[in-house]
Amino acid sequence: MSQVREPAFDRAVALVLRVGAFGCFFIMLAGLLSEFLIPGRIPVVIERGGVLLMLATPVVRVLVAGVLFLREKDWKYGAISFGVLAILLLGAVFGIGEH
Amino acid sequence: MQSVLLLVLGFFAGLLGALTGIGGGVLLTPILALHFGIPIRQAIGTSLIAVITTSAASSSVHLQRHTTDIRLGMTLELATAFGAAVTAYVVGYFNRSILEGLFAGFLLYSSITILVRGGKVKDEEAPSYNDKGETVIPPYEPRRYPLGLAASLVAGGLSGLLGIGGGPIKVPVMYIFMNVPLMVATATSNFMIGVTAAASAIVYYRRGDILVEVAAPLAVGVYLGSLLGARLAPRVHTKYVVYLLVGIMLYLAGRLCVHLFTGGTA
Repeated sequence: MSQVREPAFDRAVALVLRVGAFGCFFIMLAGLLSEFLIPGRIPVVIERGGVLLMLATPVVRVLVAGVLFLREKDWKYGAISFGVLAILLLGAVFGIGEH
Repeated sequence: MQSVLLLVLGFFAGLLGALTGIGGGVLLTPILALHFGIPIRQAIGTSLIAVITTSAASSSVHLQRHTTDIRLGMTLELATAFGAAVTAYVVGYFNRSILEGLFAGFLLYSSITILVRGGKVKDEEAPSYNDKGETVIPPYEPRRYPLGLAASLVAGGLSGLLGIGGGPIKVPVMYIFMNVPLMVATATSNFMIGVTAAASAIVYYRRGDILVEVAAPLAVGVYLGSLLGARLAPRVHTKYVVYLLVGIMLYLAGRLCVHLFTGGTA
């Protein structure tokens, strides 16, 4: 059986990615333009926000898919999604080789 | 001025990536290192942000066509994310020469593979449509999960090591070994790249290896370039674009080798 074609599921996940990608584009653009207008650290702070949004987008995408699997009582793929989420968050919690 | 150059660079990397199916990371990392004087580890971390942007933008399009196998993608992501996070940590202990050498080797290997295959990056498969204009996917059942997971671990590891997406590994594995239709394999690989790159990018970010002032213009350029590329793709003869890409990759591999042997003075 083919595993694709669950329109509502696909749309929800696509929405997370679209909002993330466009949001990042918009914030980064605002940061770039402010480089010309505002002196000091503010542009870098805005751009850092864009980087953090881009790092968060895949994490939120995994979380949303995991919750949707659990709502469908698809425990196997719910568990897999939260496993992926755990790997992503472990990277955020444990920093090795930092200086 | 540098921001404008980076924006243009991101635009062309995104455009070439969308046209050929080879992601922008392969070009961005060495160009950032060679022409913008950014240490290679930070070049890798920064180009990962462009890789995530490309994946998010293009994957949302594939999802709306319902050609992405989210269950398969999520399963393989267990392996790609793990591999990417592990190598991202390991990279912290590598010096510049090892990374530049590895990257030059990877560029050479990829260029030769493309040339041997006669400029074919992706196997073309015309999608079929039903009377409602929806894409028709033949029924399939993914097979050989252990093999797929092992290959994904390698693809993820390369992603964390070199700041690339790893699509050229994942697509053939899903298509040839896992019995997944090519259209679904391409969309699912694209879908996985964002999470794979994020797994390593988070580690790079914590280490301070993502330069936000560089990532910003790159992300803006890549976003615009990949949007245009996705629109142009059906109308452009990709074979010549691929040869252009191979030329750039060989040039960058050569420059990296020179950089390596002259100790960074060239």
